[in-house]
Amino acid sequence: MEQPPDTPRIGVDEWVASVEGKRERYTGPRGAVLKRWERLPPAARVLVFATPAAVFPFLTSGGNLFRYGLFTLVYALLALGLNIVVGFAGLLDLGYVAFFGCGAYMYAILASPQFGNHWQAEAAIPVVVVFTAVVGLLVGLPSRRLLGDYLAILTLFFGQAFVVFVNNANRISFPFVGHADLTGGANGIANIDPFNFFGYRIDSTRKQYYLLLIAVALVLILLMFVNESRTGRAWRALREDPLAAEVMSIPVNRLKLLAFVFGAAVAGLTGAIYGTIATAALPGDYDVGLLITVYAIMILGGFGSIMGIVVGAMIVNNIPKLLHSSANARPLFYGTILLAILVKLRPWRLLAAELGGLVAFGFAIHGIASAAYPRLVDGESIGSGVSARALDHWMLFPKNPVKIADVAYILLVAAIVVYPQLSRVWRAVLLPPLLYLVMFVWENLLLVHIGGATRLILLGAMLVALMNIRPQGLFGTATVEIA
Amino acid sequence: MNWSLFFDLTVSGLTLGSLYALIALGYSLVYGILKLLNFAHGDVYMIGAFLGWYALHALGGPVNPTFTGAVVLFLMFVVAMLGCGVLGVAIERFAYRPLRNAPRIAPLISALGVSIFLQNSALLIFGAAFRDYDTFDLIGVKTYNIGQLFFSVPQLLTVVAAIGLMVALTLFVARSRLGKAMRSTSFDREAASMMGIDVDRVISVTFFIGSALAGAAGVMFALVFGQIYHFMGFIAGLKGFTAAVLGGIGSIPGAMVGGLIVGLAESYATGYLPQGSTFQNLYVFALLILVILIRPSGLFGKAAISKV
Amino acid sequence: MSANGAPDLLRLKGIDTYYGEIHILENLNLNVREGELVSLLGGNASGKSTTLKTILGLVQPRNGSVEFRGEEVTGRNTSYRIRQGMAIVPENRRLFGPMTVLENLEMGAYLIRDTKGRKEDFDRVYTLFPLLHERRSQLAGTLSGGEQQMVAMGRALMARPKLLLMDEPSMGLAPILVERSFEIIQQVHQSGVAMLVVEQNANMALSIADRGYVLSTGRLVLQGPANELLQHEDLRKAYLGR
Repeated sequence: MEQPPDTPRIGVDEWVASVEGKRERYTGPRGAVLKRWERLPPAARVLVFATPAAVFPFLTSGGNLFRYGLFTLVYALLALGLNIVVGFAGLLDLGYVAFFGCGAYMYAILASPQFGNHWQAEAAIPVVVVFTAVVGLLVGLPSRRLLGDYLAILTLFFGQAFVVFVNNANRISFPFVGHADLTGGANGIANIDPFNFFGYRIDSTRKQYYLLLIAVALVLILLMFVNESRTGRAWRALREDPLAAEVMSIPVNRLKLLAFVFGAAVAGLTGAIYGTIATAALPGDYDVGLLITVYAIMILGGFGSIMGIVVGAMIVNNIPKLLHSSANARPLFYGTILLAILVKLRPWRLLAAELGGLVAFGFAIHGIASAAYPRLVDGESIGSGVSARALDHWMLFPKNPVKIADVAYILLVAAIVVYPQLSRVWRAVLLPPLLYLVMFVWENLLLVHIGGATRLILLGAMLVALMNIRPQGLFGTATVEIA
Repeated sequence: MNWSLFFDLTVSGLTLGSLYALIALGYSLVYGILKLLNFAHGDVYMIGAFLGWYALHALGGPVNPTFTGAVVLFLMFVVAMLGCGVLGVAIERFAYRPLRNAPRIAPLISALGVSIFLQNSALLIFGAAFRDYDTFDLIGVKTYNIGQLFFSVPQLLTVVAAIGLMVALTLFVARSRLGKAMRSTSFDREAASMMGIDVDRVISVTFFIGSALAGAAGVMFALVFGQIYHFMGFIAGLKGFTAAVLGGIGSIPGAMVGGLIVGLAESYATGYLPQGSTFQNLYVFALLILVILIRPSGLFGKAAISKV
Repeated sequence: MSANGAPDLLRLKGIDTYYGEIHILENLNLNVREGELVSLLGGNASGKSTTLKTILGLVQPRNGSVEFRGEEVTGRNTSYRIRQGMAIVPENRRLFGPMTVLENLEMGAYLIRDTKGRKEDFDRVYTLFPLLHERRSQLAGTLSGGEQQMVAMGRALMARPKLLLMDEPSMGLAPILVERSFEIIQQVHQSGVAMLVVEQNANMALSIADRGYVLSTGRLVLQGPANELLQHEDLRKAYLGR
């Protein structure tokens, strides 16, 4: 029967065929950039990142190279390994940093004065990588029969168990050998040797940087090949729908385990490198804080997105470091908030009104406080310079801010939870006071603890916010689930 | 065999077990209804302990309380349970609800974010130092015995209150209209909403109850052990979860039995196993692995995790 | 049985529904008049279930409106719509397996607070399905497919619906039970409840309906009185050609 081309036919299951036509597409400059990027061959993509990275040591001082360069690369390498486990295979591995620790301790045992071993790097590195892979295998084995959630808690527990173990393994008596100080207990193992490849010692920051760069590039290239291979496709299938993957006779359990072990091995390698950089393996280095950091990197970059992770590592490593000085922290923090408001608030008139309202609100509060409650304004802001002194005339700075700042912090958390539930009008009216509260808490509490709790608070909040806004991460692609 | 040691270990195991059971119930309820591991649950428990501390000090402190000890205790529990309940509801609303239809891993990561946020907020506000409950000043040092088992007042209170709360919860879920709504929602959320059940409200109530139980457990822990700190929720959460898995996650009686087993196991391990007081957590971890290997659905769990 | 001229009970106007970035329903217009039995036909993934979910508010349309009993309910939640008089017998029945038959029926009456009328509701359901009274303390998950269908129907009727939505009532049932199922649908319909029956089994569905709609990949392609649709050439080829 002839059908006019445009009318849908009855009873024909053409849904699948027409899905592409029913999908919305990105258009405009963003779409153009994405398309251009997708067309680049993998090698070219690596070059886009590798070239500036290779030049970086010549542009900066040793201290900066250590702070910004080395740590970014360590994080990137760690996140790349985690990306195999979580991003590709969809396993939530919360004991990941323990493998990193295993690598560092194993290398320390092989190449430090602790046992008097001083292995060459070409021998030690394979041993470390194989060792962590085997540990990964042992931890991953129970996961073969598990729901993903159980794996999460099992590995979280494993991470904790690792910390307990290395903290106390200096007191264990072994059969046959007797008492041995395996990990140095709470003091860790110090004076780890630099890598020594056939007599060539990687002993300067610059050499370590290039070693890391090579390692990152190798893992990146390896991952890109894996991504295109049968195994990579199977991993992705596994993440999208384990049941369907199983039905398509993909050996789900073996692949899960493989991904888990692979990730552990990368973490172990990174651990060994980190050990030589830090020249010590300390039990406190492999805690939940590091875990969150690596997760934040991977999520910022996007699950399964390899290049995104390098960008994520740059952001997550360097921004908190820049935050360490209040001169950098203020513009960064306020810049981010301003950007969010600029993106969210339309039209321009409303934006101007809100910002004007904020300024007016601040002066009003400051005026009232200096007249009635002078104790709220008898301190001054952190830092020097015109902007800090100007802030003193607008923001409240009590000399002893501890109690009031604590209350303000709790109030702020409550306000942020309640705010999205309000009606539009209330949200518009209450935005200036909310922003003022944010700034008050920032100036009087968060900025004070910038080197401690603040970083993890911001990371935690960022994880929640990012999951809310873009669960697939900044550079990940959305998966569409058809109900 | 040293029987008095055995009985002491049994009492402290029962006490710990009651705490773990209360925490496990929160995991189980939430998992039953959302199939979500609420990593922030342990931190809610920690916040409960601190809320109890603030209530105690707002009421005059342990040495000179405004009311008699019993009233102060009661108010401490009320404050901690209500506060934690509200916190739990807020967490769900803010961190999990927007992610109901997101990929499965998204709410887990959001939960992790909430956990780290709460922990460090506590560090920011309460500081890194331990806080003391000074229980003995408040309720004295009397002990009661059941046969050879000697309980201190806080221990007895913990065990009795935990049993009371669990019985109340069981009756609530089995009999009440809202309890039935919880059961139907946990079995099939969409079908429940097709019955006109306001699923969002049921989930909020579930978070409220689970978090309030954790808050109560936090206060009990502090009464028994005296000291609280910002990181206490992490390990307690892990053990509560172990208890939930052991009993069969999603099952209420399972959470109770699982909690008692983990508590007793930890206590006996501390007393009898080599270097138990150092490695007790590793022994509990080994127990978790054992359970997962032998019976992943837990003691009371069905093959499919479905029942509240 | 015809309800021509009766006022609209349910009206969908210009509905566009998306899942993620995929367009599922395209400009859907549909109405059910009071006391009417309407069939919505279509193949796999043609958007039938999405239509029901949009009506119930389980899925929010991007454009268009849903009106029920003369009131726009587009922004309202499912709970509100059910309170206004909708009820559904979902696809695959979706009983609460670990709960008893009695508890399942109670869940159907979840929003009905007056307990006096409750007994009459139970009586009404037990008269229609005497077997359910016998099985009232049995777990719903242990019943046979036909029995489950009865529980699902009874559960929906406990809500005292003005409009009963049925999602594939014939699915997974033996032919003899399909026939019995449609008899019951007719019986319920004759008691004055308007119905929207979603089916793949077009022959059966149209034989008891007043009017019918045919949905294909998210678009309505045919609509009209049931007896006319039964004669329609394309439809016969696609669905009835056995």
